[in-house]
Amino acid sequence: MIITMSVDAMNDEIDHVIKKVKELGYSTKLFQGEKKTVIHVIGATDRERLIKTVEALQGVEKLVPILHPFKLASREFHPEDTVISVDGVRIGKSDFVVIAGPCAVESEKNLLEIAEIVKEAGAKFLRGGAFKPRSSPYSFQGLGEKGLEILAKARERTGLLIVTEVLSEVDVPLVYKYADVLQIGARNMQNFPLLKTVGRFNKTILLKRGMSATIEEWLMSAEYILSEGNPNVILCERGIRTFEKYTRNTLDMSAIPVIDRFSHLPILIDPSHASGDWRYVRALSKAAVAAGADGLLVEVHTNPPDAISDGKQSLKPEIFRQLMKEIRKIAEVTGKKL
Amino acid sequence: MLVVMNKNAAKEQVEKVCDVIKEMGLTPHPIPGAQRIAIGITGNTSMVDTHRIEGLPGVLNLIHVTQPYKLTSREMKSEDTVINVRDIIIGGDGMVIIAGPCAVESQKQTMEVAYAMKESGAAILRGGAFKPRTSPYSFQGLGEQGLIILAQARSETGLPIISEALDTDNFDLVESYVDIIQIGARNMQNYSLLRRAGRSTKPVLLKRGISSTIKEFLLAAEYIMSEGNYNVILCERGIRTFSDYTRFTLDISSIPELKRITHLPIIVDPSHASGKRDMVIPLSRAAIAAGADGIMVEVHPNPDAALSDGPQSITIDMFRKLIAELDIIVKTIVKNERVEGENI
Repeated sequence: MIITMSVDAMNDEIDHVIKKVKELGYSTKLFQGEKKTVIHVIGATDRERLIKTVEALQGVEKLVPILHPFKLASREFHPEDTVISVDGVRIGKSDFVVIAGPCAVESEKNLLEIAEIVKEAGAKFLRGGAFKPRSSPYSFQGLGEKGLEILAKARERTGLLIVTEVLSEVDVPLVYKYADVLQIGARNMQNFPLLKTVGRFNKTILLKRGMSATIEEWLMSAEYILSEGNPNVILCERGIRTFEKYTRNTLDMSAIPVIDRFSHLPILIDPSHASGDWRYVRALSKAAVAAGADGLLVEVHTNPPDAISDGKQSLKPEIFRQLMKEIRKIAEVTGKKL
Repeated sequence: MLVVMNKNAAKEQVEKVCDVIKEMGLTPHPIPGAQRIAIGITGNTSMVDTHRIEGLPGVLNLIHVTQPYKLTSREMKSEDTVINVRDIIIGGDGMVIIAGPCAVESQKQTMEVAYAMKESGAAILRGGAFKPRTSPYSFQGLGEQGLIILAQARSETGLPIISEALDTDNFDLVESYVDIIQIGARNMQNYSLLRRAGRSTKPVLLKRGISSTIKEFLLAAEYIMSEGNYNVILCERGIRTFSDYTRFTLDISSIPELKRITHLPIIVDPSHASGKRDMVIPLSRAAIAAGADGIMVEVHPNPDAALSDGPQSITIDMFRKLIAELDIIVKTIVKNERVEGENI
């Protein structure tokens, strides 16, 4: 159950509500929003009694029962679409964003070159891995802090905002210093200590769906971040593991309408990791826009065959530019602007 | 094996090559193209002895087809297959909308939907007369009575009709009424039914099995084509995965995959894929944006009262709005963009 306090609720009124709820034997969690304060009641088994006790208290606006195990991530809790603003760039509802860049930061020259290209084509965010989660421990693991410095330089040069992955909770303070959006990778979707850690930082989180996670498990992971007090979570579908082996993973396009129904959080699609093959990225990107996604995360490289990682799924600049033109038109159908 | 003929090869030369192939105990499949004719060879279990064919007049060259599916592959036929059903074009540059109720329930219901479909821009009317239901106790369809109602709807509205043939027993009956015969997902590997469909002169819409790979899907289409029916339409309708919010997981990536490896048209069925009404519209838009040749969607004037699959049927108003959106999308994308070559 969620208790929403009215805009002009006083602090002692809020305290009084919490005290009353606790007297019933339930625990609470307090969320102080910009305008309203919300109290999450945990463990409420006797709804009727709770409603009776709290409804008439001073400062209480309404009580919202939430049937899903995810609460703060649910539509019931927040019926409006969440719009996240990163340094003035809005994501969600009617604002469509494109995050593009190489799989990994390889060198300063290479990254700056790609950054200029994606910026010119209309991307608002630059992606690039400094810490890379590779399937094999013998593969290139990323440039680490050196990579983050290069990303920061690219931001300075182009004005693009930086999205990069944080692999472990020890790295969070370091990546926090450089990135505008922290990415939690698919393999870490259920790394709960990491989720809790990023939930305590004031930075937008891009949470990728685990490759065999159900929608509910995914939203529960978002809940971990939200419940620590960080309201800025963006979801990203990147393909699930199925029996079909033509593509690296099977892009679950239906995740878009499903998330839209159950959650208020923005959802992006990563067609590059989903297919693992650049030849399918364009079609899947267009499909994602048409299905109502809030944005795309696309890998772009100036010379894909020479990319250190994931060259096979990276688009060359020419194809990326073409794609941007096409999706701009399709976005209009779903009422979004790029 | 594919025999490519010279641009100006004479009809007699083509016939001669076909005769030689038959003499070798194999089956020739002439494939006309815009530039030149080619002849596919099937029936060989090992390498074809090419010497006898190579030297024949009019033969340009012989190409070995590397895929296990032959007639369905782009290697065999590089141009898109375009199927004409009563002047409705399936494949090529446009988009075709197949719509109607899950099952034919009554004359009144079918006529109502048929007129609404026609007026909102659907090209083909769907409706099940023989229904493959998961439970033997569910409504199994009206049988021939349902086919009669569909035929009546066609004569009143002019819309061609598609309906499913469930087994070889009722195949002839369904074939005699409909314009396109549907083979359902559960029958994708019913080989005797596929062979029978291969001997039909009517186009066949083949649905992808619930847990079949793309390769198995194309091999099923190959069964139909190898019997001489080249008018096969593929239909993606969702695969079984662990994700349980939707009935199936619509495999959107199969569209660009199939476009690359086969010349056959691809239709997407978002209704069965999701099993939920509010997902049909976004998935339909996604399918067309990804380059599908059309969609097959369930529409019911009163979905809540439908005898089968009500939760996945959209209303007539939703359908109208959807068609308008799809029209915009299909105009903005370059369809059939087959990305060849290297990404450099």
